[in-house]
Amino acid sequence: MHAEPTRPHILTNFTGALDQLRSSVLMMSSLTQQNLKNAIKGLMERDDDWCNNSIADDEEIDVLEMQIDREGIEVMSRFQPVASDLREVISSIKIGANIERVADQGVNIARRARKLNEHAEVAELHLLDEPIRLSLEMFDDAVRSFAERNASLAVELKARDKTLDQMNKDFTDVMVNRMQDDSVNLPTLLNLIFISRCLERIGDHACNIAEDVVFAVNAEDIRHLAK
Amino acid sequence: MSTPESIATSLEAKSSQRLEFTDDFARGEANFIKIEDFKCFYGKKQALYGINLEIPLRKVTSFIGPSGCGKSTLLRNINRMNELIPGTRHEGNISIHGTSIFDPSVEIIALRRRIGMVFQKSNPFPMSIYENVVYSLRIAGQKDRSVLDASVERSLRSAALWDEVKDRLHESALGLSGGQMQRLCIARAVACRPEILLMDEPCSALDPIATAKVEELITELKKDFTIIIVTHNLQQASRVSELTAFFYLGALVEFDNTHKIFTNPAHQQTEDYITGRFG
Amino acid sequence: MNSSGLTSPNFFTEEGTKTSWMRLFRNRFLTGLCIALSVVTMVPLLSIIILVIRNGWPLISPSLFTQLTPPPGLEEGGFANAIIGTVIMVGLSLVIAAPLGILTSIYINEYAPYSRLSAVVRFVAKLMTGIPSIICGVFAFAAVVMTTHQFSSLAGGVALAILILPTILLTAEQALLGVPQAYRESSFGLGGTAFQTIFRIVLPDALPAIMTGVMLAVARAAGETAPVLFTALFSQNWIHSLMEPTASLSVLIYNFAALPYSYHVKMAWSASLVLVTLVTVINVLAQLLFSKKHR
Repeated sequence: MHAEPTRPHILTNFTGALDQLRSSVLMMSSLTQQNLKNAIKGLMERDDDWCNNSIADDEEIDVLEMQIDREGIEVMSRFQPVASDLREVISSIKIGANIERVADQGVNIARRARKLNEHAEVAELHLLDEPIRLSLEMFDDAVRSFAERNASLAVELKARDKTLDQMNKDFTDVMVNRMQDDSVNLPTLLNLIFISRCLERIGDHACNIAEDVVFAVNAEDIRHLAK
Repeated sequence: MSTPESIATSLEAKSSQRLEFTDDFARGEANFIKIEDFKCFYGKKQALYGINLEIPLRKVTSFIGPSGCGKSTLLRNINRMNELIPGTRHEGNISIHGTSIFDPSVEIIALRRRIGMVFQKSNPFPMSIYENVVYSLRIAGQKDRSVLDASVERSLRSAALWDEVKDRLHESALGLSGGQMQRLCIARAVACRPEILLMDEPCSALDPIATAKVEELITELKKDFTIIIVTHNLQQASRVSELTAFFYLGALVEFDNTHKIFTNPAHQQTEDYITGRFG
Repeated sequence: MNSSGLTSPNFFTEEGTKTSWMRLFRNRFLTGLCIALSVVTMVPLLSIIILVIRNGWPLISPSLFTQLTPPPGLEEGGFANAIIGTVIMVGLSLVIAAPLGILTSIYINEYAPYSRLSAVVRFVAKLMTGIPSIICGVFAFAAVVMTTHQFSSLAGGVALAILILPTILLTAEQALLGVPQAYRESSFGLGGTAFQTIFRIVLPDALPAIMTGVMLAVARAAGETAPVLFTALFSQNWIHSLMEPTASLSVLIYNFAALPYSYHVKMAWSASLVLVTLVTVINVLAQLLFSKKHR
């Protein structure tokens, strides 16, 4: 269900504060998307500069998380929002926390990529192409569902997360097998396993964001339902 | 016409009968006050359009809505106070515990005694505090001093006012502060042990602390009374009531648990009103 | 302000505005005019009082209040019978008019404020306030004196009652209107009948204002001449019954002032003094006793 708020509040301050909160979240998410892209680029192109950029820019995202919390609390104390406004504020705060985790995972990927770049390249790196694509797509879709207040898009993400979890499991199994044969590249293969785990976490957080969007839009709590 | 003595004894009898009613009430709990297709007219102007509402026993129900939406009109019809305004007429029915309040066998005086009403502007009589509280008992014919004394203490205690005024019961009620006066009006309304308490914006003239005390009082009182409160203060409705009815332009738009109304109302109009998008 | 008439600009004035001398002058002139006229109004009032005191004081003595009116020629006596007569007739008028007026006002204000009957009653009462007092006397003459073939204090009382009835009714109605509607609502909300609401809450609260109205009506009745002139006539004797001609202060003044005997003229002045004092005392009492009004 798409739910657009039908008209602005009589209090323009209220509408302005809610809009400000929303744009903070959107800004944070687009910075995170960029950082993720940079980290992946640094990983795939074996370029430390991209990794360093990604790690450095994370600071800005942390600041935004605190700003979102502050703005959310201010809206709640000043305007005592109810119904859809209340759900939107609470979701925004939680989504902010989730985006920050995604950004942290991006930083982890960047750090691991830096370590990988010190060693020789391995072909197994490109086994991660599909998980990378899926997890980044999931995060993009989660952000889009928030921006468009699109709950049905959000519901789809849960299914894709299962796929991503499965991909992570399979990749880990493959890597464990390879490690038994290829002891020279052991550190590299281990780092790849960690990177796969980061991607899986990104997918989980994207799912959480989707659940918060569904709550804000539909007032439904779809967490922890039987899978 | 019943004599004052018989009125007094019937009041006593009713209070002991209350325990017997409990089982009946348990059966009729959900629709203790039943409003069926109720319409109200002031001359040619229609103020209420076909209201259908069932108010449960011993819960706090709040009526919210913009000015002129008919919530006070409906409230005042429940104890037939609206009939004091000339030119009003109604269609449809309101019944309490199965008996229609418009039934010819129902004495208006008895009905109003079973329903207590508290108004927006506290209006104690220009008499002593004691006389204010016992007024409803006196007009029912009760003369026994001990009964009156007991009811004064009981009512003032349930209004959380006893400790503040117990030493000056015979002083004028008009010397109290605004919040105390409103609690006195509540004590006066409950003196005759009504079943139902109707409150029409009881806190709108009070400061935040007095308001909080009255709200606390309402939470206490709902153990014994079915309370309906009309309020403009949405936060008050969400703090104090368990059910909320939203009215707009004389019609009932939505009636549901307060929690549901304030987190996820079913109607867009309700949502627009409570989030401040109206107009 | 500088000499060119412009005010120096400060926080409250815009730059370069001129003071309006015309406005100031007009304001002062009208204020002065009001004060002067108020003073002028007091003049006739005070001169009456001074005149009455000056002319009436010489003859004031206890005998005035204990002895009968003297026939022309005699130079002694008092007007005790006139005082008693006035008291009796005013008392009678009160007994007739006060319950009638108060209960009627209760009906038209509490029981049926919007009915045709109430509207008619209000209208008629307002008309009756303008009835010349002599007409009240004529009516009582026709209604009581001619039917009983007797001049009497009863007739005088009836005439005065007709005179003060509309005043009592209308002031009582105003007093009832002054009771906050909130009191009535509370009383009804608590299960009160109309009767209980009126007699326990409304009337006690309106009573000060009603009593003021009643006392002012009484003060007026005490001083009226025309209604009692040809209903109670006059008498030189003590009163034995209500059905005989009765003396009154106002008629005494009317009669004695025209006599060629200086003693009687002086008595008329003294009676005037007594009457004015009586009316003043009643008025002041009404203000003092019943000034505790609504908060």
